[in-house]
Amino acid sequence: MPAAPFDYHAPTTVPEALSLLAALGEDAKVLAGGQSLVPLLTLRLVRPTAVVDIYGLEELRGVRRDGRTLEIGALVRHRALELGEGPLASCPMLSEAAALIGNVRVRTMGTIGGSLAHADPAAELPAVVRALDGVMVARGPQGERAIPAAEFFAGLLTTALRPGELLTAVRLPLPEGRAGYAVEEFTRRAGDFAIVAAMAVVELDGSGRTARARVAIAGAGSAPVRLTAVEGALAGVEPSEQAFRTAVGDHKLEIEPEGDVHASAEYRRHLTRVLTVRALVRAASRAGRPASDGAARGAGA
Amino acid sequence: MAKRPAAGAPTAVLPAAEQLRVVGRSIARHDARDKVQAATLYAADWQMPGMLHGVVLRSMYPSARIRRLNTGRAAALPGVVAVLTARDVPHNTLWTDVPGQTSEVGALRARLQVLAEHVVRYQGEPVALVAAETPEAAQQALEAIEVDYEPLPGVFDPEDALRPGAARVHEEGNLLARWRVQRGDADAALASADVVVEDTYRCQFIDHAYLEPECGVAWIDADGVVTIRVATQVIEHFRDVADVLGVPHNRVRVIGTYVGGGFGGKEDVTVEVFLGLLASRTRRPVRMVWSRQESLLARPKRHPFILHYKTGASRDGTLTAQAVELVADSGAYAYLSALVLMYATVTAAGPYRVPNVAIDACVAYTNNPPTSAMRGFGGMQMVLGYESQMDRLARRLEIDPVEIRVRNALQKGDRLPVGQELETHVGVAEAARRAWAALGPRRTPSAPRYRAGRGLACNIQPYGRIVWLHDWASAWVGFEMDGTAVVRTGVPDVGGGQASSLCQIAAEVLGLEPEQVAVHIGDSALTPLAGTTTATRQLYMSGNAVLQAATGLRAQVLPVAAQMLETPPDRLILRDGGAADAAGRRVEWAAVLKECARLGVSRSYLGVYHAPAGDPVDLDRGGGRIFPDYTFGAHAVEVEVDTETGAVAVVRHVACHDVGRAINPQSVEGQIQGGAVMGVGYGLMEEVVVDRGVNLTTNFAAYLIPTALDVPDVEPLVLESGDGKGPFGARGIGEPPIGPPAAAIANAVEDAVGVRITQLPITPERVARALGLLKPE
Amino acid sequence: MTELTIAFTLNGKPQEVRTAAHETLLTLLRDELGAVEVKDGCGEGVCGTCTVLLDGEPVSSCLLLAARVAGREVTTVRGLAPAGSLHPIQEAFVAHGAAQCGFCTPGMILTAYAFLRENGRPTRDEIRRAIAGNLCRCTGYTKIVDAIEASALSDAGPPAASRPPAGSVTPRRG
Repeated sequence: MPAAPFDYHAPTTVPEALSLLAALGEDAKVLAGGQSLVPLLTLRLVRPTAVVDIYGLEELRGVRRDGRTLEIGALVRHRALELGEGPLASCPMLSEAAALIGNVRVRTMGTIGGSLAHADPAAELPAVVRALDGVMVARGPQGERAIPAAEFFAGLLTTALRPGELLTAVRLPLPEGRAGYAVEEFTRRAGDFAIVAAMAVVELDGSGRTARARVAIAGAGSAPVRLTAVEGALAGVEPSEQAFRTAVGDHKLEIEPEGDVHASAEYRRHLTRVLTVRALVRAASRAGRPASDGAARGAGA
Repeated sequence: MAKRPAAGAPTAVLPAAEQLRVVGRSIARHDARDKVQAATLYAADWQMPGMLHGVVLRSMYPSARIRRLNTGRAAALPGVVAVLTARDVPHNTLWTDVPGQTSEVGALRARLQVLAEHVVRYQGEPVALVAAETPEAAQQALEAIEVDYEPLPGVFDPEDALRPGAARVHEEGNLLARWRVQRGDADAALASADVVVEDTYRCQFIDHAYLEPECGVAWIDADGVVTIRVATQVIEHFRDVADVLGVPHNRVRVIGTYVGGGFGGKEDVTVEVFLGLLASRTRRPVRMVWSRQESLLARPKRHPFILHYKTGASRDGTLTAQAVELVADSGAYAYLSALVLMYATVTAAGPYRVPNVAIDACVAYTNNPPTSAMRGFGGMQMVLGYESQMDRLARRLEIDPVEIRVRNALQKGDRLPVGQELETHVGVAEAARRAWAALGPRRTPSAPRYRAGRGLACNIQPYGRIVWLHDWASAWVGFEMDGTAVVRTGVPDVGGGQASSLCQIAAEVLGLEPEQVAVHIGDSALTPLAGTTTATRQLYMSGNAVLQAATGLRAQVLPVAAQMLETPPDRLILRDGGAADAAGRRVEWAAVLKECARLGVSRSYLGVYHAPAGDPVDLDRGGGRIFPDYTFGAHAVEVEVDTETGAVAVVRHVACHDVGRAINPQSVEGQIQGGAVMGVGYGLMEEVVVDRGVNLTTNFAAYLIPTALDVPDVEPLVLESGDGKGPFGARGIGEPPIGPPAAAIANAVEDAVGVRITQLPITPERVARALGLLKPE
Repeated sequence: MTELTIAFTLNGKPQEVRTAAHETLLTLLRDELGAVEVKDGCGEGVCGTCTVLLDGEPVSSCLLLAARVAGREVTTVRGLAPAGSLHPIQEAFVAHGAAQCGFCTPGMILTAYAFLRENGRPTRDEIRRAIAGNLCRCTGYTKIVDAIEASALSDAGPPAASRPPAGSVTPRRG
């Protein structure tokens, strides 16, 4: 169907975008890659009076590595994450997750900022950022602020962004030493939104034991969930499959899955356990490799 | 001056099989070049000056009374040209008995309203129409129409609908049709059988999900004829449009475009009547294109079935009895439900010899989405029942799955439970053996958490329409003066190569290359009618009609060529665009046709092929002949089951069918592969989820069809028995390949992980549950 | 409501159109510019029939506001070869019977074209991954994969100069 008509603005700088958002108020929608917003417009499910198209904000396209922090501009496309070149190679989890997003067309236009701001609980990138304890950088009328992932993903399709604020970048702290990442996603078909996905980061200490394990789950709640009880149980433990199974089996998972036409809550709960173990096993095996392999492409272990 | 030679009798002058030049070749289809350049204009690609945009207002309630309907505000909006409701429809009834036929079949008539007047019976039922200058204006008008609905009780399960006290969907009660077939004494045979396997199977609503949504453009031409250019499988719907509009049949014309997928979903009327109404009212061209979401919501679906099977056999695996109870869901309106039920009834015992059979099938109205034709038409749903049963018998008796099927397979000369004698070769046993053997050695699973399994399923699927419909098809074949040829026939082409095969047949008979034959199809005013592109009938029917016409034309002009060469006609060889004698002396068609013109010999022929006809039979009393013939086949699949998640992946798929003769082998392979993948979708992932009449899967994010990553290469094994009722011994192949995959997968899953899934689709969650993986927390 | 004048290139020809900002590239192409080779199959970006190349990369035109193509190159299937002749991928689709109803074909061919520019020697699995976002309901995909594989092997693809750096893509099945 045709979208309901709206006023269209295409700012070329971030300050211009911010003052537009301030002037237009809550009935304006921000347009980035469009893969989430445009179908809502053409199905007439949302009818904003104005759209602010930020795709022209070149300053939000950069990627840079600053010591142990990787900063990714909000308009970096999924396709670029998938290819994982330059500084992006330092975080192969992004490439592995981005390759699973939608189809090639979605990855050509969609952006990391768009995905994070849309906050679909079944989306891959919010869970990745949650697993890595990423920090969202937002700019608004009161200036810039940093919002930790735990606070940023507030609920179903809801973030901590305030009215008039724009997500400009995400900062990911990179683990030191021997670290491995893995993404385990369960879908009905390739390219679908996750039924459930487990994002695992495993860091080993000098003796090869688990220094820290982090797991974030997509698709089992209204926002990505960290399995803190399981994480706690894994500190200092041998990174064996058996140990992972025991930790996952014995501990409560902080998920609150809901059932829908694709999967019941009970099945999502089961998948969470299965995928968490698989993700931990793969992440640990990658962490066990020499440093040069640890920085290699995440896919196809 | 030479006299006009006597025309030869138009009997089939078929070259012996080994001399076929064109038939049997995998030539590129004539529409393929257009399609890869996107030169083909589909129904929604047509633009006309002054064209309006038409949209439909649909009920969001599955069962409700329309208390108030006010279109005043909508009609007053700028750019809105017409708003129509039930009272604006001259004759607000659509009869949906059997599309495209001139024979009426008493009990199988069904009707619905074009626009609902007092009551809506399903979610999505059309209530009003709008025509506006722009899509935006049309949309705003829809939103401005005021409708007050009073929700009514509804019934949403066919078994519930058949219980006393159920809410009535229609005045006459909820039982729409019932068919019974009996042979021998099934009860007694089951009581004394060595082994009995009994279970209930369930299959789901699915959607056609063709890539092209329903669409068309209508206009009033210079002569006042309502002309509708539409994506349809049935151009004969011009009659329905005329009846609704209250105009003579010869004042409505339907032009069938190349269709972007039909599968039975464009067999009933879709946009035609709405377009006819809007074009007539506005006197301007009108285009209507349904959105995907609208199509998923409102279009008739495939019939869900509850299948209860009791199968008895002796210890050596010989079947002794099949007792089957079927309950199908017609949704809110009958459409073709009674016929679908008949196909199910006739095939429910499977492609096997069973001396004692009792089949009791009924279909009930509910307030669910209406169900109608979809590829396989009742016959394909039965495969889950009879092939699951065969597999379980094989396990119980420890007999090889191929062996038990071969042992019981039907053969030529046997009679189906309904009484019909099988007059052509029955290739079940061979197909089963070949498909299974083609799987090759068992592979090791790709990781320890996977278990591999294999499954086989055979099937029987009718081709051609029920004989008491007195089916016929016509085709006109003619020579142009330069020796090229033209075929005109009303057959719609829905992508299965319907038109292209006709080109090959005409070229074969007339000594031409396919490029020298032009085919014009699908125009109810300009091409002789050929009936529906449904029921796997077009190659059989139009193919025979073109064969007859081309043969008749050949018989007319051949004596003229013979006279020119001073050789008896039966000594002439037709090839390379002319006729030659044994000594190599040739005459080109152009010269022959000039002579024909001089002598007054006709250069064209109208062929009308009549399928063997019969009278309606009483299925209850050992019926008799129902269908012209059947196609038999078998699929073998290998699956990998993830023992932790329950996910099932098909890693190998072999599909074997006896097609009689492959007019175009590449086309036949394509039909087999396409049908097989559609069957895999049905088996593993497709489901229209309906909750108390509310459709929960109305977009492509929720309604899942297979992508290229969800299926392996399908290996087609084409058997050619040479024995079929179609041209050159061909049998129909459009529908049969969709039947076996779901059952083969169910059988393979049991082979892999030891659980029997009896409900489709075989989702990972169902398998996980069956494996006991889901424990309450 | 905003109206915009958009200048862009369509299949090598410069275009300048005036359109409402809320219009998608799909309706602009089909309804204003007569480029009906681009199809409307779902409006959700799932089916792939609306695929066009934007500066050589495949996008869903149903999910693109027309304003986005300002200053850019849009390619449809008609831009792959001069009118009347066929690109080798198109020839391969014809030869291998990869088009039945043909509705998915334009989007499928464009996707294959963009893919083969990055990966000139794909395996059949890689081809399937590349076209996983283009639905087909008629062919069952086997002959489409045959056609794309054959056109890769025929080595008659477009020049290497415009090839972006290759990335290895291995999406995982659940």
